Amino acid sequence: MNSKQQLTVQFRSSLQSQASIISNNLISVTDHLSDHRDLLSSIVAYPGPEYPGRTQESMLQQLLRTKLDPRVEDWVARGRTAGTESSQSSRGFPGTIPNPSGPATTKQLSESELSELWNWAPIEANQEALQRNWGGNYTLEEREAGIQNVVTGLRRQLEDDDASEDEEEGDEDEGEDEMDVVGVHRKSGGGLEFEIAPHHPHAVTPVVPLDKILRYMTTGHMP
Amino acid sequence: MHELLLFASVPVHQHHGLLQQLAGLTAMQPRHALERRLIFKAFRKPGLITGRVGGSQDLQQASAGDLQRVNKMLNGGMFYTQVVGPVSEKDFAPASKSASAPDADTKMAGMDESKPSVLTQPDNAHVYDYDQQAWKLEFRDIPEAATRSAITTRVMASAALPRGDIEPSMNAWGYGFVTEYLVEGDVFIHNDIVIFLHRVLHYPTGEKEPREPRRNLPALKKMAPLEKTGSYVLQASITVQDGSNQETMKTASQHLLGLREQLKSAVRLEPADRLSLDTRAK
Repeated sequence: MNSKQQLTVQFRSSLQSQASIISNNLISVTDHLSDHRDLLSSIVAYPGPEYPGRTQESMLQQLLRTKLDPRVEDWVARGRTAGTESSQSSRGFPGTIPNPSGPATTKQLSESELSELWNWAPIEANQEALQRNWGGNYTLEEREAGIQNVVTGLRRQLEDDDASEDEEEGDEDEGEDEMDVVGVHRKSGGGLEFEIAPHHPHAVTPVVPLDKILRYMTTGHMP
Repeated sequence: MHELLLFASVPVHQHHGLLQQLAGLTAMQPRHALERRLIFKAFRKPGLITGRVGGSQDLQQASAGDLQRVNKMLNGGMFYTQVVGPVSEKDFAPASKSASAPDADTKMAGMDESKPSVLTQPDNAHVYDYDQQAWKLEFRDIPEAATRSAITTRVMASAALPRGDIEPSMNAWGYGFVTEYLVEGDVFIHNDIVIFLHRVLHYPTGEKEPREPRRNLPALKKMAPLEKTGSYVLQASITVQDGSNQETMKTASQHLLGLREQLKSAVRLEPADRLSLDTRAK
Protein backbone atom coordinates (compact mmCIF):
# COMPACT_ATOMS: atom_id res chain seq x y z
CA MET A 1 0.00 0.00 0.00
CA ASN A 2 2.79 2.41 0.91
CA SER A 3 4.67 2.15 -2.33
CA LYS A 4 1.48 2.69 -4.30
CA GLN A 5 0.58 5.72 -2.26
CA GLN A 6 4.05 7.11 -2.55
CA LEU A 7 3.82 6.73 -6.29
CA THR A 8 0.58 8.64 -6.50
CA VAL A 9 1.94 11.28 -4.17
CA GLN A 10 5.03 11.71 -6.31
CA PHE A 11 2.90 11.84 -9.40
CA ARG A 12 0.72 14.50 -7.88
CA SER A 13 3.61 16.65 -6.69
CA SER A 14 5.22 16.54 -10.14
CA LEU A 15 1.88 17.55 -11.66
CA GLN A 16 1.76 20.44 -9.28
CA SER A 17 5.25 21.65 -10.14
CA GLN A 18 4.48 21.41 -13.86
CA ALA A 19 1.35 23.45 -13.34
CA SER A 20 3.20 26.11 -11.40
CA ILE A 21 5.86 26.36 -14.13
CA ILE A 22 3.16 26.86 -16.73
CA SER A 23 1.36 29.48 -14.70
CA ASN A 24 4.63 31.35 -13.99
CA ASN A 25 5.33 31.51 -17.71
CA LEU A 26 1.81 32.75 -18.40
CA ILE A 27 2.15 35.38 -15.72
CA SER A 28 5.41 36.71 -17.19
CA VAL A 29 3.86 36.85 -20.67
CA THR A 30 0.82 38.79 -19.43
CA ASP A 31 3.10 41.08 -17.43
CA HIS A 32 5.10 41.90 -20.54
CA LEU A 33 1.96 42.48 -22.56
CA SER A 34 0.40 44.81 -20.02
CA ASP A 35 3.67 46.66 -19.30
CA HIS A 36 4.21 47.51 -22.97
CA ARG A 37 0.54 47.91 -23.74
CA ASP A 38 0.88 51.49 -25.03
CA LEU A 39 3.85 50.67 -27.20
CA LEU A 40 2.33 47.50 -28.61
CA SER A 41 -1.06 49.11 -29.38
CA SER A 42 0.57 51.89 -31.43
CA ILE A 43 2.71 49.52 -33.49
CA VAL A 44 1.71 48.89 -37.09
CA ALA A 45 3.14 45.80 -38.70
CA TYR A 46 3.37 45.19 -42.40
CA PRO A 47 5.29 42.71 -44.52
CA GLY A 48 8.54 43.56 -46.25
CA PRO A 49 8.54 43.87 -50.03
CA GLU A 50 10.36 40.55 -50.41
CA TYR A 51 7.51 38.66 -48.70
CA PRO A 52 5.80 36.31 -51.19
CA GLY A 53 2.38 37.90 -50.76
CA ARG A 54 0.69 35.90 -53.52
CA THR A 55 1.72 32.42 -52.55
CA GLN A 56 1.75 32.82 -48.77
CA GLU A 57 -1.32 35.02 -48.41
CA SER A 58 -3.12 32.90 -45.86
CA MET A 59 -0.11 32.87 -43.58
CA LEU A 60 0.06 36.62 -43.85
CA GLN A 61 -3.62 36.93 -42.97
CA GLN A 62 -3.08 34.81 -39.92
CA LEU A 63 -0.16 36.90 -38.73
CA LEU A 64 -1.78 40.27 -39.32
CA ARG A 65 -5.21 39.48 -37.92
CA THR A 66 -6.52 42.32 -35.82
CA LYS A 67 -9.44 40.32 -34.51
CA LEU A 68 -9.07 37.11 -32.60
CA ASP A 69 -9.80 33.74 -34.07
CA PRO A 70 -13.41 32.72 -33.20
CA ARG A 71 -12.06 29.75 -31.29
CA VAL A 72 -9.72 31.88 -29.30
CA GLU A 73 -12.46 34.36 -28.69
CA ASP A 74 -14.47 31.60 -27.10
CA TRP A 75 -11.59 30.73 -24.83
CA VAL A 76 -11.21 34.31 -23.80
CA ALA A 77 -14.92 34.66 -23.09
CA ARG A 78 -14.89 31.49 -21.02
CA GLY A 79 -11.86 32.68 -19.13
CA ARG A 80 -13.48 36.03 -18.45
CA THR A 81 -16.70 34.52 -17.09
CA ALA A 82 -14.73 32.10 -14.97
CA GLY A 83 -12.68 34.97 -13.62
CA THR A 84 -15.68 37.13 -12.76
CA GLU A 85 -17.52 34.18 -11.21
CA SER A 86 -14.68 33.29 -8.90
CA SER A 87 -14.09 36.88 -7.93
CA GLN A 88 -17.80 37.29 -7.20
CA SER A 89 -18.03 34.15 -5.15
CA SER A 90 -14.86 34.99 -3.26
CA ARG A 91 -16.65 38.02 -1.93
CA GLY A 92 -18.24 35.58 0.44
CA PHE A 93 -21.24 33.42 -0.23
CA PRO A 94 -22.56 31.55 2.77
CA GLY A 95 -22.53 27.77 2.53
CA THR A 96 -19.11 27.35 1.01
CA ILE A 97 -16.42 25.41 2.74
CA PRO A 98 -13.93 27.40 4.78
CA ASN A 99 -10.37 26.27 4.35
CA PRO A 100 -9.18 25.00 7.68
CA SER A 101 -5.50 25.65 7.10
CA GLY A 102 -5.73 29.28 8.10
CA PRO A 103 -8.28 32.10 8.10
CA ALA A 104 -5.83 34.50 6.47
CA THR A 105 -5.73 32.51 3.21
CA THR A 106 -9.40 31.47 3.23
CA LYS A 107 -10.73 31.09 -0.31
CA GLN A 108 -14.35 30.35 -1.12
CA LEU A 109 -15.11 27.72 -3.72
CA SER A 110 -17.34 28.60 -6.63
CA GLU A 111 -20.43 26.56 -7.52
CA SER A 112 -18.71 24.65 -10.28
CA GLU A 113 -15.67 23.99 -8.12
CA LEU A 114 -17.92 22.72 -5.37
CA SER A 115 -19.80 20.37 -7.66
CA GLU A 116 -16.50 19.20 -9.07
CA LEU A 117 -15.28 18.53 -5.56
CA TRP A 118 -18.42 16.61 -4.72
CA ASN A 119 -18.09 14.58 -7.87
CA TRP A 120 -14.53 13.73 -7.15
CA ALA A 121 -14.58 13.24 -3.41
CA PRO A 122 -16.85 10.18 -2.95
CA ILE A 123 -14.86 8.01 -5.33
CA GLU A 124 -11.54 9.09 -3.91
CA ALA A 125 -12.81 8.64 -0.38
CA ASN A 126 -14.19 5.24 -1.25
CA GLN A 127 -10.90 4.15 -2.75
CA GLU A 128 -8.98 5.53 0.17
CA ALA A 129 -11.35 3.79 2.56
CA LEU A 130 -10.82 0.49 0.80
CA GLN A 131 -7.08 0.79 1.35
CA ARG A 132 -7.29 1.44 5.03
CA ASN A 133 -8.67 -0.22 8.07
CA TRP A 134 -11.00 2.50 9.27
CA GLY A 135 -12.52 2.53 12.68
CA GLY A 136 -11.67 5.70 14.46
CA ASN A 137 -11.20 9.38 14.08
CA TYR A 138 -7.44 9.16 13.65
CA THR A 139 -5.23 7.10 11.42
CA LEU A 140 -2.49 4.94 12.81
CA GLU A 141 0.15 7.30 11.45
CA GLU A 142 -1.52 10.23 13.12
CA ARG A 143 -1.80 8.41 16.41
CA GLU A 144 1.84 7.42 16.31
CA ALA A 145 2.86 11.00 15.63
CA GLY A 146 0.67 12.17 18.48
CA ILE A 147 -2.95 13.15 17.98
CA GLN A 148 -2.54 16.57 19.57
CA ASN A 149 -0.54 17.63 16.49
CA VAL A 150 -3.24 16.72 14.01
CA VAL A 151 -4.91 19.66 12.34
CA THR A 152 -8.50 18.62 11.81
CA GLY A 153 -10.00 21.99 11.08
CA LEU A 154 -12.96 21.05 13.23
CA ARG A 155 -14.11 23.13 16.18
CA ARG A 156 -15.44 20.20 18.20
CA GLN A 157 -13.15 17.82 19.94
CA LEU A 158 -12.78 14.37 18.47
CA GLU A 159 -12.82 11.47 20.86
CA ASP A 160 -10.14 8.91 20.68
CA ASP A 161 -10.80 6.09 23.03
CA ASP A 162 -11.47 2.62 21.74
CA ALA A 163 -14.33 1.89 24.11
CA SER A 164 -16.59 4.54 22.66
CA GLU A 165 -15.80 3.38 19.13
CA ASP A 166 -16.88 -0.14 19.96
CA GLU A 167 -20.08 1.16 21.43
CA GLU A 168 -20.89 3.09 18.31
CA GLU A 169 -20.21 0.11 16.13
CA GLY A 170 -22.45 -2.01 18.29
CA ASP A 171 -25.25 0.49 17.96
CA GLU A 172 -24.90 0.48 14.21
CA ASP A 173 -25.27 -3.26 14.02
CA GLU A 174 -28.49 -3.17 15.95
CA GLY A 175 -30.16 -0.58 13.75
CA GLU A 176 -32.36 -2.51 11.34
CA ASP A 177 -33.08 0.20 8.84
CA GLU A 178 -29.44 0.87 8.14
CA MET A 179 -28.52 1.13 4.51
CA ASP A 180 -25.20 -0.22 3.37
CA VAL A 181 -23.41 1.53 0.59
CA VAL A 182 -22.18 -1.44 -1.39
CA GLY A 183 -20.40 0.48 -4.10
CA VAL A 184 -19.82 3.77 -5.79
CA HIS A 185 -19.25 4.12 -9.49
CA ARG A 186 -19.64 6.66 -12.23
CA LYS A 187 -22.78 6.72 -14.27
CA SER A 188 -22.36 6.63 -18.00
CA GLY A 189 -24.03 10.00 -18.38
CA GLY A 190 -21.88 11.58 -15.73
CA GLY A 191 -22.57 11.94 -12.05
CA LEU A 192 -22.38 9.33 -9.38
CA GLU A 193 -24.32 6.23 -8.62
CA PHE A 194 -24.45 4.77 -5.16
CA GLU A 195 -25.50 1.19 -4.84
CA ILE A 196 -27.26 0.83 -1.58
CA ALA A 197 -28.90 -2.18 -0.07
CA PRO A 198 -30.96 -2.41 3.08
CA HIS A 199 -28.79 -3.64 5.87
CA HIS A 200 -30.15 -6.88 7.14
CA PRO A 201 -28.96 -8.56 10.31
CA HIS A 202 -29.85 -12.08 9.15
CA ALA A 203 -29.09 -12.04 5.47
CA VAL A 204 -29.38 -15.41 3.76
CA THR A 205 -28.13 -15.77 0.24
CA PRO A 206 -29.95 -18.33 -1.90
CA VAL A 207 -28.10 -21.60 -2.39
CA VAL A 208 -29.71 -22.66 -5.66
CA PRO A 209 -28.96 -20.18 -8.45
CA LEU A 210 -31.81 -18.62 -10.37
CA ASP A 211 -31.17 -20.48 -13.61
CA LYS A 212 -31.31 -23.84 -11.85
CA ILE A 213 -34.69 -22.93 -10.41
CA LEU A 214 -35.94 -21.83 -13.81
CA ARG A 215 -34.64 -25.03 -15.35
CA TYR A 216 -36.51 -27.07 -12.81
CA MET A 217 -39.66 -25.07 -13.42
CA THR A 218 -39.37 -25.66 -17.15
CA THR A 219 -38.36 -29.29 -17.39
CA GLY A 220 -38.59 -30.77 -13.92
CA HIS A 221 -34.88 -31.59 -13.71
CA MET A 222 -33.79 -31.42 -10.11
CA PRO A 223 -30.95 -28.97 -9.57
CA MET B 1 -48.26 -14.43 -28.71
CA HIS B 2 -44.95 -13.30 -27.36
CA GLU B 3 -43.82 -12.93 -23.81
CA LEU B 4 -41.12 -10.55 -22.61
CA LEU B 5 -39.52 -11.40 -19.30
CA LEU B 6 -37.08 -10.26 -16.68
CA PHE B 7 -36.12 -12.24 -13.60
CA ALA B 8 -34.49 -11.65 -10.28
CA SER B 9 -33.59 -13.83 -7.36
CA VAL B 10 -34.96 -12.55 -4.07
CA PRO B 11 -33.40 -13.81 -0.83
CA VAL B 12 -35.96 -14.80 1.76
CA HIS B 13 -35.05 -11.99 4.15
CA GLN B 14 -35.86 -9.46 1.46
CA HIS B 15 -39.21 -11.00 0.58
CA HIS B 16 -41.38 -9.11 3.05
CA GLY B 17 -39.82 -5.77 2.26
CA LEU B 18 -40.11 -6.32 -1.46
CA LEU B 19 -43.78 -7.25 -1.16
CA GLN B 20 -44.40 -3.91 0.48
CA GLN B 21 -42.31 -2.04 -2.05
CA LEU B 22 -44.20 -3.67 -4.90
CA ALA B 23 -47.52 -2.92 -3.24
CA GLY B 24 -46.46 0.69 -3.05
CA LEU B 25 -45.21 0.80 -6.61
CA THR B 26 -48.26 -0.86 -8.14
CA ALA B 27 -50.76 0.70 -5.73
CA MET B 28 -52.44 -2.64 -5.18
CA GLN B 29 -52.50 -5.35 -2.59
CA PRO B 30 -50.68 -8.54 -3.52
CA ARG B 31 -52.95 -11.18 -4.97
CA HIS B 32 -51.90 -14.46 -3.44
CA ALA B 33 -51.69 -17.31 -5.90
CA LEU B 34 -51.20 -21.06 -5.55
CA GLU B 35 -50.76 -23.07 -8.71
CA ARG B 36 -50.32 -26.75 -9.32
CA ARG B 37 -47.94 -27.12 -12.19
CA LEU B 38 -47.69 -30.41 -14.01
CA ILE B 39 -44.77 -30.91 -16.35
CA PHE B 40 -45.45 -32.99 -19.42
CA LYS B 41 -42.92 -34.12 -21.97
CA ALA B 42 -43.57 -35.07 -25.57
CA PHE B 43 -42.80 -38.70 -26.31
CA ARG B 44 -44.03 -38.94 -29.86
CA LYS B 45 -42.31 -37.59 -32.88
CA PRO B 46 -44.13 -34.55 -34.21
CA GLY B 47 -46.31 -35.07 -37.25
CA LEU B 48 -47.72 -38.39 -36.13
CA ILE B 49 -50.85 -36.72 -34.92
CA THR B 50 -52.77 -35.26 -37.77
CA GLY B 51 -55.78 -33.05 -37.99
CA ARG B 52 -58.36 -34.28 -35.60
CA VAL B 53 -57.41 -35.57 -32.24
CA GLY B 54 -59.03 -38.77 -31.16
CA GLY B 55 -58.75 -40.33 -27.80
CA SER B 56 -60.04 -37.40 -25.90
CA GLN B 57 -63.76 -37.21 -25.66
CA ASP B 58 -63.42 -34.47 -23.13
CA LEU B 59 -61.72 -32.23 -25.56
CA GLN B 60 -64.84 -32.06 -27.72
CA GLN B 61 -66.22 -29.79 -25.07
CA ALA B 62 -63.47 -27.28 -25.58
CA SER B 63 -64.22 -24.65 -28.15
CA ALA B 64 -63.16 -25.25 -31.74
CA GLY B 65 -60.72 -22.39 -31.66
CA ASP B 66 -58.98 -23.78 -28.65
CA LEU B 67 -58.87 -27.20 -30.25
CA GLN B 68 -57.12 -25.81 -33.27
CA ARG B 69 -54.65 -23.89 -31.21
CA VAL B 70 -53.89 -26.86 -29.01
CA ASN B 71 -53.27 -28.98 -32.07
CA LYS B 72 -50.92 -26.45 -33.52
CA MET B 73 -49.04 -26.16 -30.26
CA LEU B 74 -48.68 -29.83 -29.69
CA ASN B 75 -47.62 -30.79 -33.17
CA GLY B 76 -44.92 -28.19 -33.54
CA GLY B 77 -42.07 -30.23 -32.16
CA MET B 78 -40.90 -32.13 -29.13
CA PHE B 79 -41.41 -29.90 -26.17
CA TYR B 80 -41.88 -29.84 -22.48
CA THR B 81 -45.14 -28.19 -21.68
CA GLN B 82 -46.88 -27.20 -18.50
CA VAL B 83 -50.38 -27.75 -17.30
CA VAL B 84 -51.30 -25.19 -14.70
CA GLY B 85 -54.16 -25.53 -12.27
CA PRO B 86 -55.05 -22.80 -9.80
CA VAL B 87 -55.78 -24.07 -6.30
CA SER B 88 -56.62 -22.35 -3.06
CA GLU B 89 -55.36 -22.85 0.46
CA LYS B 90 -58.62 -24.54 1.35
CA ASP B 91 -57.82 -27.30 -1.13
CA PHE B 92 -54.97 -28.52 0.99
CA ALA B 93 -55.33 -31.00 3.79
CA PRO B 94 -55.84 -29.52 7.28
CA ALA B 95 -52.63 -28.26 8.79
CA SER B 96 -52.04 -31.04 11.29
CA LYS B 97 -53.96 -34.22 11.74
CA SER B 98 -52.97 -34.64 15.37
CA ALA B 99 -54.69 -31.38 16.24
CA SER B 100 -57.89 -32.14 14.38
CA ALA B 101 -58.19 -35.74 15.59
CA PRO B 102 -59.38 -34.96 19.14
CA ASP B 103 -62.03 -32.65 17.71
CA ALA B 104 -63.27 -35.42 15.51
CA ASP B 105 -63.31 -37.74 18.47
CA THR B 106 -65.45 -35.47 20.59
CA LYS B 107 -67.85 -35.03 17.74
CA MET B 108 -67.94 -38.72 17.06
CA ALA B 109 -68.98 -39.52 20.62
CA GLY B 110 -72.59 -38.53 20.22
CA MET B 111 -72.91 -39.12 16.53
CA ASP B 112 -73.96 -41.83 14.19
CA GLU B 113 -70.96 -44.07 13.52
CA SER B 114 -72.09 -45.42 10.18
CA LYS B 115 -69.82 -43.05 8.22
CA PRO B 116 -66.50 -43.09 10.04
CA SER B 117 -64.46 -42.19 6.99
CA VAL B 118 -66.19 -38.84 6.54
CA LEU B 119 -65.86 -37.99 10.18
CA THR B 120 -62.12 -37.54 10.04
CA GLN B 121 -62.95 -34.28 8.31
CA PRO B 122 -65.11 -31.71 10.02
CA ASP B 123 -68.48 -31.48 8.27
CA ASN B 124 -68.04 -27.99 6.93
CA ALA B 125 -64.52 -28.64 5.65
CA HIS B 126 -63.80 -28.04 2.02
CA VAL B 127 -62.59 -31.18 0.29
CA TYR B 128 -60.31 -30.99 -2.71
CA ASP B 129 -62.06 -32.40 -5.74
CA TYR B 130 -59.56 -33.45 -8.37
CA ASP B 131 -62.31 -34.08 -10.90
CA GLN B 132 -63.33 -30.44 -10.76
CA GLN B 133 -59.80 -29.04 -10.98
CA ALA B 134 -59.54 -26.47 -13.77
CA TRP B 135 -56.49 -26.71 -16.01
CA LYS B 136 -54.73 -24.51 -18.48
CA LEU B 137 -52.14 -25.66 -20.95
CA GLU B 138 -49.19 -23.29 -21.07
CA PHE B 139 -46.81 -23.71 -23.93
CA ARG B 140 -43.55 -21.81 -23.87
CA ASP B 141 -40.97 -21.88 -26.63
CA ILE B 142 -37.25 -21.59 -25.99
CA PRO B 143 -36.36 -17.88 -25.66
CA GLU B 144 -35.28 -16.18 -28.84
CA ALA B 145 -31.54 -16.09 -29.30
CA ALA B 146 -29.95 -12.80 -28.37
CA THR B 147 -32.13 -10.58 -30.53
CA ARG B 148 -32.96 -8.36 -27.59
CA SER B 149 -30.28 -9.38 -25.20
CA ALA B 150 -31.43 -7.10 -22.38
CA ILE B 151 -34.75 -8.95 -22.17
CA THR B 152 -35.83 -12.56 -22.49
CA THR B 153 -38.36 -12.95 -25.30
CA ARG B 154 -40.21 -16.12 -26.16
CA VAL B 155 -43.20 -17.36 -28.06
CA MET B 156 -46.00 -18.46 -25.81
CA ALA B 157 -49.51 -19.79 -26.08
CA SER B 158 -52.04 -21.07 -23.63
CA ALA B 159 -55.38 -22.78 -23.93
CA ALA B 160 -58.07 -23.93 -21.57
CA LEU B 161 -58.26 -27.65 -20.93
CA PRO B 162 -61.13 -29.77 -19.69
CA ARG B 163 -61.56 -30.05 -15.96
CA GLY B 164 -60.61 -33.05 -13.93
CA ASP B 165 -58.16 -35.80 -14.77
CA ILE B 166 -56.02 -34.36 -17.50
CA GLU B 167 -53.52 -37.14 -17.91
CA PRO B 168 -55.42 -39.34 -20.41
CA SER B 169 -55.94 -36.38 -22.70
CA MET B 170 -52.31 -35.41 -22.50
CA ASN B 171 -51.25 -38.98 -23.15
CA ALA B 172 -53.43 -39.09 -26.20
CA TRP B 173 -51.63 -36.01 -27.50
CA GLY B 174 -48.33 -37.73 -27.02
CA TYR B 175 -47.35 -36.15 -23.77
CA GLY B 176 -46.15 -38.07 -20.75
CA PHE B 177 -46.34 -36.86 -17.17
CA VAL B 178 -42.93 -35.97 -15.79
CA THR B 179 -43.40 -34.34 -12.43
CA GLU B 180 -45.44 -31.78 -10.63
CA TYR B 181 -44.79 -29.04 -8.16
CA LEU B 182 -46.58 -26.21 -6.52
CA VAL B 183 -45.93 -22.55 -7.15
CA GLU B 184 -46.71 -20.20 -4.33
CA GLY B 185 -46.52 -16.47 -4.69
CA ASP B 186 -48.06 -13.06 -5.11
CA VAL B 187 -49.14 -11.30 -8.26
CA PHE B 188 -49.03 -7.58 -8.90
CA ILE B 189 -50.13 -5.72 -11.98
CA HIS B 190 -48.22 -2.60 -12.91
CA ASN B 191 -49.67 -1.04 -16.07
CA ASP B 192 -49.03 -3.72 -18.68
CA ILE B 193 -46.51 -5.62 -16.58
CA VAL B 194 -47.42 -8.68 -14.58
CA ILE B 195 -45.13 -9.04 -11.58
CA PHE B 196 -45.08 -12.48 -10.02
CA LEU B 197 -43.03 -12.98 -6.87
CA HIS B 198 -43.05 -16.71 -6.37
CA ARG B 199 -41.23 -19.83 -5.29
CA VAL B 200 -41.46 -23.51 -6.00
CA LEU B 201 -42.77 -25.86 -3.33
CA HIS B 202 -42.20 -29.58 -3.36
CA TYR B 203 -44.66 -32.16 -2.21
CA PRO B 204 -43.47 -33.89 0.94
CA THR B 205 -40.84 -36.47 0.21
CA GLY B 206 -40.95 -39.96 1.59
CA GLU B 207 -43.83 -41.18 -0.51
CA LYS B 208 -42.60 -42.61 -3.73
CA GLU B 209 -42.72 -40.33 -6.72
CA PRO B 210 -46.14 -40.75 -8.28
CA ARG B 211 -46.45 -41.59 -11.96
CA GLU B 212 -49.51 -39.42 -12.42
CA PRO B 213 -50.86 -36.16 -11.07
CA ARG B 214 -51.94 -36.29 -7.43
CA ARG B 215 -55.59 -36.65 -6.64
CA ASN B 216 -55.13 -35.33 -3.10
CA LEU B 217 -53.11 -32.47 -1.77
CA PRO B 218 -51.08 -32.72 1.43
CA ALA B 219 -51.06 -30.06 4.12
CA LEU B 220 -49.63 -26.85 2.82
CA LYS B 221 -47.27 -26.63 5.77
CA LYS B 222 -45.66 -29.92 4.80
CA MET B 223 -44.62 -28.55 1.44
CA ALA B 224 -40.92 -27.80 1.30
CA PRO B 225 -39.40 -25.04 -0.86
CA LEU B 226 -37.21 -26.24 -3.73
CA GLU B 227 -34.65 -23.65 -2.71
CA LYS B 228 -33.77 -24.69 0.83
CA THR B 229 -33.30 -21.17 2.15
CA GLY B 230 -36.79 -20.32 0.87
CA SER B 231 -35.74 -17.64 -1.58
CA TYR B 232 -38.18 -16.28 -4.13
CA VAL B 233 -38.05 -15.58 -7.84
CA LEU B 234 -39.29 -12.25 -9.09
CA GLN B 235 -40.66 -12.44 -12.61
CA ALA B 236 -41.78 -9.40 -14.54
CA SER B 237 -43.52 -10.17 -17.81
CA ILE B 238 -45.43 -8.47 -20.59
CA THR B 239 -47.50 -10.43 -23.07
CA VAL B 240 -47.62 -9.11 -26.60
CA GLN B 241 -50.40 -10.36 -28.84
CA ASP B 242 -48.64 -9.64 -32.10
CA GLY B 243 -45.00 -10.49 -31.75
CA SER B 244 -44.20 -9.56 -35.34
CA ASN B 245 -45.06 -5.93 -34.67
CA GLN B 246 -41.70 -4.39 -33.89
CA GLU B 247 -43.27 -1.23 -32.51
CA THR B 248 -45.26 -2.98 -29.78
CA MET B 249 -42.36 -5.25 -28.93
CA LYS B 250 -40.14 -2.21 -28.53
CA THR B 251 -42.66 -0.40 -26.35
CA ALA B 252 -43.08 -3.49 -24.20
CA SER B 253 -39.37 -3.94 -23.67
CA GLN B 254 -39.02 -0.27 -22.84
CA HIS B 255 -41.69 -0.63 -20.19
CA LEU B 256 -39.88 -3.61 -18.71
CA LEU B 257 -36.58 -1.76 -18.69
CA GLY B 258 -38.33 1.15 -17.03
CA LEU B 259 -39.53 -1.17 -14.29
CA ARG B 260 -36.02 -2.52 -13.92
CA GLU B 261 -34.82 1.03 -13.42
CA GLN B 262 -37.51 1.69 -10.81
CA LEU B 263 -36.70 -1.42 -8.84
CA LYS B 264 -32.97 -0.98 -9.22
CA SER B 265 -32.29 -0.16 -5.61
CA ALA B 266 -34.31 -3.15 -4.42
CA VAL B 267 -33.61 -5.97 -6.85
CA ARG B 268 -31.61 -6.45 -9.99
CA LEU B 269 -33.94 -7.63 -12.75
CA GLU B 270 -32.10 -9.46 -15.48
CA PRO B 271 -32.83 -11.59 -18.51
CA ALA B 272 -32.73 -15.29 -17.76
CA ASP B 273 -30.14 -17.70 -19.04
CA ARG B 274 -31.66 -18.84 -22.33
CA LEU B 275 -30.82 -22.50 -21.86
CA SER B 276 -32.37 -22.62 -18.43
CA LEU B 277 -35.70 -21.87 -20.12
CA ASP B 278 -35.11 -24.41 -22.88
CA THR B 279 -38.37 -26.30 -23.30
CA ARG B 280 -37.21 -28.51 -26.14
CA ALA B 281 -37.29 -32.19 -25.29
CA LYS B 282 -34.20 -33.99 -26.49
